[in-house]
Amino acid sequence: MVFSSIVFLFRFLPLFFILYYLAPRGMKNGILFLGSLIFYAWGEPVYVLLMLFSTIVDYTHGRLLERARGKGRARLILLSSVCINLAVLCFFKYADFLVQSVNSLLGTSLPLLNLPLPIGISFYTFQTMSYTIDVYRGEARVQKNILDFGVYVTMFPQLIAGPIVKYRDVQDRLSHRAVSLDFVSAGMKRFCLGLAKKVLLANNIGELWVTVSGMGFGERSTLTAWLGILAFAFQIYFDFSGYSDMAIGLGEMLGFRFPENFNYPYISASVTEFWRRWHISLGSWFREYVYIPLGGNRKGMIRQILNILIVWLLTGIWHGAGWNFLLWGLWFAIALILEKLFLGKVLSWLPRGVGMVYTAFVVLGGWVLFALSTPAEIWDYSRALAGAGSRLVDRQALYLGREYAVLLVIAAFASTPAAGRAVEGLRKSRTGVNLALCHFGEKFIPAALLILSIAGIVDASYNPFLYFRF
Amino acid sequence: MDEKRSTIFTIILIASVILVFSAADLIYGDRLYSELENKVLASRPEFSWNALLEGDFTRDYETYLTDQFAGREKWISIKTYMDICLGKQEINGVYLGADDYLIEQHLPKQFSSVQENKKLSLLEKLVSEWNASVMLVPTADNVIMDKLPPFAVCYDQVRFLEQVESRIGPEHYIDVYTALRQHADEEIYYRTDHHWTSLGAYYGYQAWAAAQDRYGGRYHVENMETVTEDFLGTLQSKVNLNVRKDSIKYFPETMNPVSVTYDYNVVKDTYYEESWLDTKNKYGFFLDDNHAFVEIETGCPNGKTLFVIKDSFANCLIPLLTSHYERIYVLDLRYFNGRLFQFMKKYRPEEGMDVLVLYNCIHFLEDFAYVE
Repeated sequence: MVFSSIVFLFRFLPLFFILYYLAPRGMKNGILFLGSLIFYAWGEPVYVLLMLFSTIVDYTHGRLLERARGKGRARLILLSSVCINLAVLCFFKYADFLVQSVNSLLGTSLPLLNLPLPIGISFYTFQTMSYTIDVYRGEARVQKNILDFGVYVTMFPQLIAGPIVKYRDVQDRLSHRAVSLDFVSAGMKRFCLGLAKKVLLANNIGELWVTVSGMGFGERSTLTAWLGILAFAFQIYFDFSGYSDMAIGLGEMLGFRFPENFNYPYISASVTEFWRRWHISLGSWFREYVYIPLGGNRKGMIRQILNILIVWLLTGIWHGAGWNFLLWGLWFAIALILEKLFLGKVLSWLPRGVGMVYTAFVVLGGWVLFALSTPAEIWDYSRALAGAGSRLVDRQALYLGREYAVLLVIAAFASTPAAGRAVEGLRKSRTGVNLALCHFGEKFIPAALLILSIAGIVDASYNPFLYFRF
Repeated sequence: MDEKRSTIFTIILIASVILVFSAADLIYGDRLYSELENKVLASRPEFSWNALLEGDFTRDYETYLTDQFAGREKWISIKTYMDICLGKQEINGVYLGADDYLIEQHLPKQFSSVQENKKLSLLEKLVSEWNASVMLVPTADNVIMDKLPPFAVCYDQVRFLEQVESRIGPEHYIDVYTALRQHADEEIYYRTDHHWTSLGAYYGYQAWAAAQDRYGGRYHVENMETVTEDFLGTLQSKVNLNVRKDSIKYFPETMNPVSVTYDYNVVKDTYYEESWLDTKNKYGFFLDDNHAFVEIETGCPNGKTLFVIKDSFANCLIPLLTSHYERIYVLDLRYFNGRLFQFMKKYRPEEGMDVLVLYNCIHFLEDFAYVE
């Protein structure tokens, strides 16, 4: 089930929360677990078993680790857990990619498995791995109640698209949490904002990208290509961060506090800063469980560069099984290494605006690799961006620019903290009118956005069938 | 306390949006058909374990919920008005043009040169075999360009028509484009529908008469009569906006036919079917909407025969041709499965017959196809 659907908003959501709030404290986890299984099984009626398998495996490994604490076999148990998790992930996500790569490199014709990717598998396997690793390191308490552990793995808000919540960040609230009115109201507002980001911004600006990416080779003028990649950048940001906002909001409504996942990434003045602001929970996962264990920056410059390379290739391939994602990771690794070596210093001497422009170029270039999958497409698109062999401006570009100008301006504005700062300013000014405006806006803007988002969701299915066209 | 009241108010406000519409949706009964969208809406899928495991059940159920959602058409209007507020001038493949004109969008990439050539070869064959005349009517986006939003991109039908003329030869080609362009500031296309109006068809007829050296002065624009002023056509359905309604007019000077036989079956004594004016599809007024084959006995005793191969653009023009032929056969290839040339031979009288191919450019490129 996705959040931006009628079945979620008008069937699952009301029914689930009514039951959840009415249930006595001792039953809340049971309801949450069951609700989450239904939520997942709605879209993945078979793979729900895989998720339960993952749950049981890591629960058992946690218990075993507890018993083996301080003994040599603890390491083996950890290794077993990590291997099982990675094996499941690799099998379902990367098997066909490996087969295809082998086939094209060696000219063999091994058959493909053609397994559909289980939804959210990249997210929940990373979560469960954080659990066993932290238990091994003694940074998290072992969970003896399998229901509470099941709630952690399957919890529907962040199950499908993150944030990747580390077990130790929620372990207390898994068994003891109070739902306060403040949490519920803040969560609801957050959910509405996230839904609007997804439905009103991401989906609409996404149409521009669909139009531009659908054009044939050599048909894009330079301006068209830039409009297109800008649209993709906004689409992926509002889609992903909107989904994170909805997850965090729903978490709050349940009584959880999930980590933030995005912090206005597009205002970054360096790529290093960008990755501290973009998909924060993934970055911190890789830093904690890969980069630092590899030695991080403590083993000399050469080792650090190698570590950055490893982490970013893994980050790339985590996003999808394809060569372009690997390339995308490499692209960022190069930028980060250059910044470590000297570029970061240079940027810090220059005005912030210069850094922002440089970062925008690197990030948009990255999105070309991310959004297009074949080398030919990437090459053609890059040429158009660079103005090589295509016109700078054509009628199509002017039309698209005019058609999407307002939306692009809104999207750019919404990518900065300006709106949030304006609200804070109003609140702090403490004059009667401003405060009243602030109070009114805080309640009615989320509600209005919710209503507009519903219109967007219903409209997405509007496709009049014109059999009397003739 | 004030803070707390405000928090509770927020919760009630947002929860009530969800709860009110959930409840309304549960109460709101299912509809079979949406006239606006002209489609049968999804009905509740039947449950089976197999469908559930395959994922079909949940997918169908979501389609069902969305199709049947309470106030569906209102929601769609909200979204459309939101788009307009954002400065969009194209909705669902329809340009919002000047003077309330809705103009269907046809993008250059929709038609490849391979497809153009395929259709041209078919047309060439038909023309050379039957000495046919060809009228291809450009659609509104290529004629009333000044009504389009700035920089709007269109498939270039003029260039295609030039190709048509050079492939089949100017003696077979009737230039409707120039005729329509000369009257581009008149109401030659409907505002809410993709068809040309009777006035547009009249100018097309004039071009035909001039090309064929016939007398085209029988009909007079000032004598046209209005049959309805409530026409909201296909393009209005696509954008679902409140727009000015169209009038449908016709030329009462066309003679009453002896008989009009639809699909060998229904025989009428008029070209105009008023029953369609009570439905949404009011353009069906002309020649009873779409039929595979129509035989017309015009009552004009000159012994001449015309065979028309056409789309719906022809429906409002054919009545104007009836003063030039005693018999007119009208074939719509989309509903015809046989061998075209064999079929035509069956209807060709000994002294021969004229053949006319009459389509709009877009339908021609999309749908013109036959087996010899």
